[in-house]
Amino acid sequence: MISPGLDLQMNFEQALESFGFSHEVAHILWLPLPMLLVLTAALIGVLVTVWLERKISAAAQQRIGPEYAGALGILQPMADGLKLLVKEDVIPKRADGFLFTLGPILVLIPVILSWLIVPFGQNLLISNVGIGIFLWIALSSIQPIGLLMSGYASNNKYSLLGGLRAAAQSISYEIPLALAVLAVVMMSNSLSTIDIVNQQNGAGFLSWNIWRQPVGFVIFWICALAECERLPFDLPEAEEELVAGYQTEYAGMKFALFYLGSYINLVLSALLVSILYLGGWGFPIPIEWLSTWLGESFNSPIFQLFAGSIGIVMTVLKAYLLVFLAILLRWTTPRVRIDQLLDLGWKFLLPISLVNLLVTAALKLAFPIAFGG
Amino acid sequence: MLGFLEKISQYTKEAFDAAKYLTQGIAVTFDHMGRRPITVQYPYEKLIPSERYRGRIHYEFDKCIACEVCVRVCPINLPVVDWVMNKQTKKKELRNYSIDFGVCIFCGNCVEYCPTNCLSMTEEYELATFDRHSLNFDNVALGRLPSNVTTDPSVTPLKELGYLPKKIMDPHEVSPLDPRAGKLPSEILDWMKNTEPSDSNENIQSRE
Repeated sequence: MISPGLDLQMNFEQALESFGFSHEVAHILWLPLPMLLVLTAALIGVLVTVWLERKISAAAQQRIGPEYAGALGILQPMADGLKLLVKEDVIPKRADGFLFTLGPILVLIPVILSWLIVPFGQNLLISNVGIGIFLWIALSSIQPIGLLMSGYASNNKYSLLGGLRAAAQSISYEIPLALAVLAVVMMSNSLSTIDIVNQQNGAGFLSWNIWRQPVGFVIFWICALAECERLPFDLPEAEEELVAGYQTEYAGMKFALFYLGSYINLVLSALLVSILYLGGWGFPIPIEWLSTWLGESFNSPIFQLFAGSIGIVMTVLKAYLLVFLAILLRWTTPRVRIDQLLDLGWKFLLPISLVNLLVTAALKLAFPIAFGG
Repeated sequence: MLGFLEKISQYTKEAFDAAKYLTQGIAVTFDHMGRRPITVQYPYEKLIPSERYRGRIHYEFDKCIACEVCVRVCPINLPVVDWVMNKQTKKKELRNYSIDFGVCIFCGNCVEYCPTNCLSMTEEYELATFDRHSLNFDNVALGRLPSNVTTDPSVTPLKELGYLPKKIMDPHEVSPLDPRAGKLPSEILDWMKNTEPSDSNENIQSRE
């Protein structure tokens, strides 16, 4: 039996209705709250990630990193952001002004929109859309259009090359990514992220998808890194060859949008890996056991609050462990060439993910109990 | 068929090898995170310049005989020696002496050839100015005592890697007042003087 858990929306609307508001008004009043909350969460997540990136990069290179802006340099990303905010907004003379402006917006919006389906608990997400994870895949294919647009509109050879590379990379890595997700979806019989997580939380960490989908996990992580243009695959902005790729001509707030987009995308990918493969908000041991040990009824409000906060902490913790791994990878791996990148995508990841999908289907038919029949 | 299987096994092996090397690489990166930063926190910590460091040139006006040897040996004839002949005493009278450190390459030739040792190298290297003309030091500026890393109370002096004892990589572990690793030139000279008469050292014998 799956407990409904904490339902803030229901509680909020009931509270408002008890004040005499109609059901519709209560719903409309509720709507902006989770959106703002998730937007804030995403932005804070980016700030933390930028800070972590700088500090961990420094540590990996035996430096100290930002130290004087706030305690341990915690305000450094704020300072960076503020600098970009007040910087002059430059549109190159012979660039296409409209596309140049539209590009970064098209890159950022789908990434933020994808947070719609990221659950931090049973009811702690903006909307439990039925197509869930598929929505994310669909939204993430809008991004290369924006990248191509900004690369083309900049009227700069580096930007154009960067944009083309970004598009080629995103498109070729989307296929194995989708196939890896498909295998998970097949096991949980649902596209909804909530159902995917719930299906993994039967027996603590032993029931996480990573044990049933180890190959899928690796494929997904590699593809996620490629989609985020993180270091082994950061060809679109390879600074030694392309200055900054499609970002070359951007400054100020438009550059900040790209910057924000890439980091939100990284956090989002890490969150989705934790949701698809690492049990999402699930505690390493089933939370129901904790309630029996603590002698607290599972449905008591206090325990529900406790379980809810544990869920958020677990999701964020798993995601940030993956972010940490991504940062370590950044300082470990060299950048691949474009032909190696496409080779890996089409000749390695694509066949392997297809095989993975077929094997998952076969296992699902053979062992319906273990593979979600 | 066998060839195909062989290819597949080769492919799998390569994939696993790649994963193995990647893990090894990450282990190295991860290991570095626990180490102490190797960077010098510059305005608060400074490295003690090495012996024979060629920094800003110090000049003693009273020792100078205006012979202009420094100008001759300088690759670009940089020092400006402003003197006049005193007709009565029939001696040169030095009025001004200046070196432009914006142009100087700190080769040390002037110091090397100065017959009266009125020029010397210091360990001062912070010569940044807002205006390049203020790098043109006259005899007063050249005669100022050099600033010193070890005596500045606001600076933590650190030894350079070459001056650390064996097996110590972190200058923070050593007091800057500790004697440096190895012998000083004067100590080596003393040691050579002591060992030479007994002829016990083969090294010195063979050199002779």
